[in-house]
Amino acid sequence: MAVLSRQPWCVATSLLVPLLTLAAPGWLRLAGVAPAWAVLWLLPWALVDGSISGGLAGLAVGLLLDALHPSGASLVPGLVLLGWWWGRIGRKGAPIQGTFNLALLALFGTLLLDLSLMIQWLLISWRNHAAALVLYEGSAASGSVLDRGVNPAPLALPGWHWDDLAGAGLQVLLAQTLVTALLAPLLCSLQLLLWRQLGAAWRS
Amino acid sequence: MPAARWLRWGQARPLLQFWPWLLLLLGLMAVRFSKGSLVTDAYALLTRPFWPGTAQGEWVRSAQGSGDQLRLRQLERENERLRGLLQLPRAAGERVEAPVISRQTGGWWHQLVLGAGALQGLRPGQAVIAPGGLVGRLSSVTPSTATVSLLTDPTSRVGVWVGRTRRHALLSGIGTSRPLLRFLEKDPQARPGDVVYSSPASTLLPPNLPVGVIQSIDETADPAPEAVVQLIAPLDALDWVQVLVR
Repeated sequence: MAVLSRQPWCVATSLLVPLLTLAAPGWLRLAGVAPAWAVLWLLPWALVDGSISGGLAGLAVGLLLDALHPSGASLVPGLVLLGWWWGRIGRKGAPIQGTFNLALLALFGTLLLDLSLMIQWLLISWRNHAAALVLYEGSAASGSVLDRGVNPAPLALPGWHWDDLAGAGLQVLLAQTLVTALLAPLLCSLQLLLWRQLGAAWRS
Repeated sequence: MPAARWLRWGQARPLLQFWPWLLLLLGLMAVRFSKGSLVTDAYALLTRPFWPGTAQGEWVRSAQGSGDQLRLRQLERENERLRGLLQLPRAAGERVEAPVISRQTGGWWHQLVLGAGALQGLRPGQAVIAPGGLVGRLSSVTPSTATVSLLTDPTSRVGVWVGRTRRHALLSGIGTSRPLLRFLEKDPQARPGDVVYSSPASTLLPPNLPVGVIQSIDETADPAPEAVVQLIAPLDALDWVQVLVR
């Protein structure tokens, strides 16, 4: 039974995620990339509070983080999936306690979260590219495009494209996955301990 | 009798007695006809320990900087006047200074959050400059904060031109610290070291704001050459920026 989500101050700790994302401490970055604070908060929460509470917490944190960034790809699908998955692991399997297990879960979680973003950007890129080509062909047929031999429409499309994702995107994914997995044993084990003690106290 | 000698040995002997004076005279003539090079070189060598130090150099540089700023201001005024006469878009006038309260220059989003917002007159789309040049545009504004989408962000697309050749191009963020300059022509005639400015044809930005310097050019890129641009403004060390309020 979810008990953490019934305590307002426990729920309020989720506000640390956007605050830490905005603060982005330089000494915790790897190659300029900050850890996935949402993963570090959501993992212990979902392990203790179950899949439904985890999924809802993923939705709430995802919406908070999406508000900080320009529109486009969303963190919500990845975080909801992770909250639900980690909630199931926490309830169905043996209790997760080892720091290595936490690091491994955080690593896979960050990987999944970043891959969900990359897939969304690829879909957006393909859709925009197709629309730009249609627009360009229509303009070319009417003779309104500059006769310079370069189609300017695809160049002006904003957002991550395949080339960017294969280059800088891959670096971001690797750096964020690594730095999140390195921080998880320290931060998640403390949170896990706190949530379990509080949960046991409220249940009794 | 040998050939006629106009100077006999006996007559030359008094002259040889004065050979040091002759050498001195020759030396003076050499100095005279070399425009004093030996003297000034010797003077430079002897007085080197007493030459003006770094303090004097800084004074001179400071004075030169002040002079350059005054000249720049005068040229900007003149440029504004001429643009008005030609009915071209004018450069931004008023500037609002804002502190940087959050800096995300790596990761999936490259953005700054400023500690000034709509209450200070900021609006989405306004250009943001820092010491060195353009850094981005405001993407969203709240009453007391504003978010800057940096030029390095993959969502950023800015019309620019190369100052030397006046060829237009599109500056595209690719998620790294150095954006990509995508030319619109097959032969842009650009080379490393060229300075990139915001385009006078741009409807989004004030014209001729310095942006960056071309570092390398890929002539084989498809469909047109591409160049890597190093931004002049240091994005990782920004504490204060200026928003160009139109």
